[in-house]
Amino acid sequence: MSFREALDSGKFVVTAEVGPPKGTDIDEMIHHIELLKGKVDAVNFTDNQSAVMRMNSLAGCKIALEHGVEPILQMTCRDRNRIGLQSDLLGAYALGVRNVLCMTGDHVSAGDHKGAKPVYDLESVQLLKVVDALNNGKDMEGNDLKGSTDFFQGAVVTPEANPLEPQLIKFEKKVKAGARFFQTQAIYDIEKFKDFMKYARRFPVKVLAGLVVLKSAGMAKFLNNFVPGIVVPEELIEELKAAGKEKALDTGLNICARHIRQLKDEGICDGVHIMAIGMEDKVPEILERAGLL
Amino acid sequence: MIITKKKDFQELMENIKNYRSFFLIGCSECASLCGTGSEEAIKELTEALQSEGKEVTGGFVPKTGCQVLGTKKELKAFKDQLAETDCILVMSCGAGTQTAVELFPDKPVYPTNDSLFLGNMTRFQMFDERCSLCGQCILDRTGGICPVTTCPKGLLNGPCGGMQDGHCEVSPDIPCAWVRIYERMKKLDKLEELRESVLDAKDWSHAQKPRALSTREKKEKK
Repeated sequence: MSFREALDSGKFVVTAEVGPPKGTDIDEMIHHIELLKGKVDAVNFTDNQSAVMRMNSLAGCKIALEHGVEPILQMTCRDRNRIGLQSDLLGAYALGVRNVLCMTGDHVSAGDHKGAKPVYDLESVQLLKVVDALNNGKDMEGNDLKGSTDFFQGAVVTPEANPLEPQLIKFEKKVKAGARFFQTQAIYDIEKFKDFMKYARRFPVKVLAGLVVLKSAGMAKFLNNFVPGIVVPEELIEELKAAGKEKALDTGLNICARHIRQLKDEGICDGVHIMAIGMEDKVPEILERAGLL
Repeated sequence: MIITKKKDFQELMENIKNYRSFFLIGCSECASLCGTGSEEAIKELTEALQSEGKEVTGGFVPKTGCQVLGTKKELKAFKDQLAETDCILVMSCGAGTQTAVELFPDKPVYPTNDSLFLGNMTRFQMFDERCSLCGQCILDRTGGICPVTTCPKGLLNGPCGGMQDGHCEVSPDIPCAWVRIYERMKKLDKLEELRESVLDAKDWSHAQKPRALSTREKKEKK
């Protein structure tokens, strides 16, 4: 069952994330792909995340396909103009990629090529419209394509943005522009997330809650202080602290698994997107603890 | 106005090391407000050059350095000084420098400033960028605040995920353009308009360089 079919079937869907390597050595990436194979419904391949130059997302997607894992192509607007984006979308489709996640992309100032010229010729809402056009056999200028795409296109949303309403207005624009699924920024407060879902359920889109595994109380504090749109509640920080250094990661895995279980059992959203960030190895264990394997 | 900043003096001296005598041209408009092309700036640079053993044959602040014909007329009074000068230094923006390049085809012309941006003066000698001359104004759709310029990504349809507590992911010193737009539209009771308004990708052909414009009416033939 494809990612799209899984979401349509009402199954609680699980996606994970793999960052292509900085370099040409793909052994570790293949190891992670193999590890996730059969355990998740699809795997996102990040697009030079945090504006750090790496192997492109498309190569990661193609390698995933070769290993029998369904990829989600993350596509940011930071590095390519409208010609480059459309061209890469056509190429991705020809190579077998069927899911695309349209994002604006972290600014170059966050990355390791700070002098790069940021592109942003399009942004996420416009890129979604472009995918919709390609799906309908036209490029964004209305020119006919010889063979159209049939992408399942998604976008991201930050349920804990502050202020929230500008983010929700953009969310609605993304829905109108053709987004069919959303993967959220990391959430930790399930009660607050329920409020967001109450709102999001008014729209004909599937929502996967973003989860970032907490490794320690220090990491939780870092997320609170430095990562926009992420709020780790104080009681989770206390729980990690109480676990002590040696048990912190184990507790972090438990928190993640507990959240997955609750999201699924209470039917809060349509699935989860696990961002393990360097701990891809732990994803199967989290899913086991959550009762999904 | 065009915001300019003095080049590093050592860099300037390196650029002009092969010349001995200089005529300095400022500008009474933007560069005077920026303190880079005023009478005082000319005086200051004159002294600095002299202390490096250079000769200054004269200096002048034209009314509008980017106006070619007006500047040409004003500089006629300095014909003799200009004739005995090795090199002309222009203390305004890149446009002013290129006025001098046009007026003095046989003389080397060097800029003393870097031209930065089209800016608003917020306080004395404090400037910020609010318009990037994109050639296709969308202020009518964004509550009068330009996201093309004041959002580092130039986003047209709302804030990115990097917005935190109303400021930009690039720097906490930058307020999020889209939060500002949202707040203003809310104040003006225009949130519905903002919600409905999906802006298409900009047509950058309007900003294709070099740009030129003539608003002269064609003279009727007698």
